[in-house]
Amino acid sequence: MRFVVWALLLGLVFLRILASIPKYKEGQKIRISQKVTSEPVRYSYYQSLNLSGLRVYLPKYPEVLYGDEVLVEGTIEDGKLSDAVLLELRQGTGPLFLLRKKLVNFYESSLPQPFSGLVSGVTLGSKSGLSADFWERLKLTGTAHVVVASGMNVTLVAGFLVGVTCLFLPRRSAIPLAIAGVWGYSLLSGFDAPIIRAAVMGSVTFLAQAAGRLVSAWKALIFSALVMLLFWPSWVFDLGFILSFVATACLLLFEPRVKRFFRFLPEVIKEGFSTSLAAQIGVAPIIFVTFGQFNILSPAVNALVLWTVAPITIIAGVSGIVALIIPTLGRLTIYLVYPLAFWFVKVIEAFS
Amino acid sequence: MKLGVWKYIFTGLILAAIAVGLGISQSSDQKLHIIACDVGQGDATLITFESTQILIDGGPDLKILDCLGKYIPYWDRTIEAVILTHPQLDHYGGLIEVVGRYEVENLIANSLDSDADAYGQLKKEIMEKGIKVTNPNQDTLVRYGALYLDIVHPSREFIAQNSTFLESTSSDRVLGSYTTRADPNVFSIVAILSFGDFDGLFTGDITPEAIEEIIKSGQLKDVDFIKIPHHGSKNGLTSSLLEVTSPEISVISAGRNNRYGHPHQETLGLLRERNIQILRTDEVGDIEIVTDGKEIIVRGN
Repeated sequence: MRFVVWALLLGLVFLRILASIPKYKEGQKIRISQKVTSEPVRYSYYQSLNLSGLRVYLPKYPEVLYGDEVLVEGTIEDGKLSDAVLLELRQGTGPLFLLRKKLVNFYESSLPQPFSGLVSGVTLGSKSGLSADFWERLKLTGTAHVVVASGMNVTLVAGFLVGVTCLFLPRRSAIPLAIAGVWGYSLLSGFDAPIIRAAVMGSVTFLAQAAGRLVSAWKALIFSALVMLLFWPSWVFDLGFILSFVATACLLLFEPRVKRFFRFLPEVIKEGFSTSLAAQIGVAPIIFVTFGQFNILSPAVNALVLWTVAPITIIAGVSGIVALIIPTLGRLTIYLVYPLAFWFVKVIEAFS
Repeated sequence: MKLGVWKYIFTGLILAAIAVGLGISQSSDQKLHIIACDVGQGDATLITFESTQILIDGGPDLKILDCLGKYIPYWDRTIEAVILTHPQLDHYGGLIEVVGRYEVENLIANSLDSDADAYGQLKKEIMEKGIKVTNPNQDTLVRYGALYLDIVHPSREFIAQNSTFLESTSSDRVLGSYTTRADPNVFSIVAILSFGDFDGLFTGDITPEAIEEIIKSGQLKDVDFIKIPHHGSKNGLTSSLLEVTSPEISVISAGRNNRYGHPHQETLGLLRERNIQILRTDEVGDIEIVTDGKEIIVRGN
């Protein structure tokens, strides 16, 4: 019975991928009208977004944000939409997009660069606010994954939500709330592949817990990959998608062993070091082949900075929500994040 | 549970103590700092004294934010005055981000308007934030404590002769309400900064013809420091300007390997002839000049 379900799912995914291979012709002029479903990247003189699997470059202003609706016209050229013109821009009005905008605004007006970019990247996966110089340094040190919509954060938020709701409710009723919270956070933080992967996996695990059953992490991982491809078949070629799964698979395979091997390391950095070393086993070759970049020191840098991610996310998240109600108090508590962000930035600067 | 709560409070207190410590260590030293920010091909100069910041232009893009983050203490989110020398992207582009993120108390803007999209964006931000805008003339004096900033160009007469007033009922001319057929560079705001015995000349993108006008007005004087006009282009610095002002230190703000070939060899030649120290953002990045009003120290990046 189970086998039939899995086979059916696999077959469906396969069909979806086949059906979704784009049918654009070179030189064809098209119009795309859609909601921007991932965060646009901003460069000095232009911004770049992904629409219907096509890379689109637009002038820097008006600024397009994640959640906005756009109507764009351009010509297909080489998998890109060239000479793209923005005909219409309707700002996203969903409460989550507005909340995200408000929070990013709060971080940007409370802390200087590159700290504000780091904080909004870590807490909300918002990479548009990162300074170009700092982004280069993150890539060089193999720590960019922390600020680009990381699945690690979803796990963190899920744990935090379960922890908090369990204080007031029995675990069984806490779980649906936690699942809702995780999906809310996924929407809030950009809905990119790694985030959805973590959200699906987290939901599967939580649901199994609620049903009083155990589910293997491998099953959850494969299930989430298939579900995601069912909804977004074009992600089969998305590097973020591939890396997220390879990294998670490597964690499952190697992390316990790596941790045992490095048991002499101090507790604070052991977690970061062993997870990033385990993930690197699969991720490094892919990065090297695609970008020609490889940093042997990356696990060490990760070990030095990863422990700050949880407190940064929690302090910044809580301060942001406080600031919506009492701005001055939020402004004060966000300063608690500064020493951590300062450490993070100095370590990255020292290693790049 | 009890222990857990205490652990959080304790961690919070430690973080607060470190935050305060870092805040104090970044606080100012009673000296004037002039920082030519490395913003690539463009211009942005930050002037700080105690907790006062004056920013002259903002470069083309987000890069200015790194410089502000580096030279302003993290808890200080107010920039007392921003001066926009003239409406060209390599001077105002970054200001769009600056006014969004910092509290700008005063904006001293060139009186020319521009219909570029990005300029519209800047105007929109300024209107939304309700920032006070002043169009300066030769009588404008900006003063913060021991810091004096004298505007020497453009004069009221110069604006009247070389540009036309735009009648407008809408509020979309929050920055300037004049237009011109001439090169906007000739309208660049030129200012002298004085602090104790120290004087510095800030020149925007001023051109040779406009320099002659300024010299004729008799407002220039001997200075210690000059920001070379127009990224060191040939259409900027003149030997007469150097004669009247005889600076010792010069800064050129230009992008690495920029396509305009800035700074020009002729400009560099003028400076070398007179043994004026040349500091270039395209060679050393951010340049910081520190003075107590008497001695001057130069710090490269």
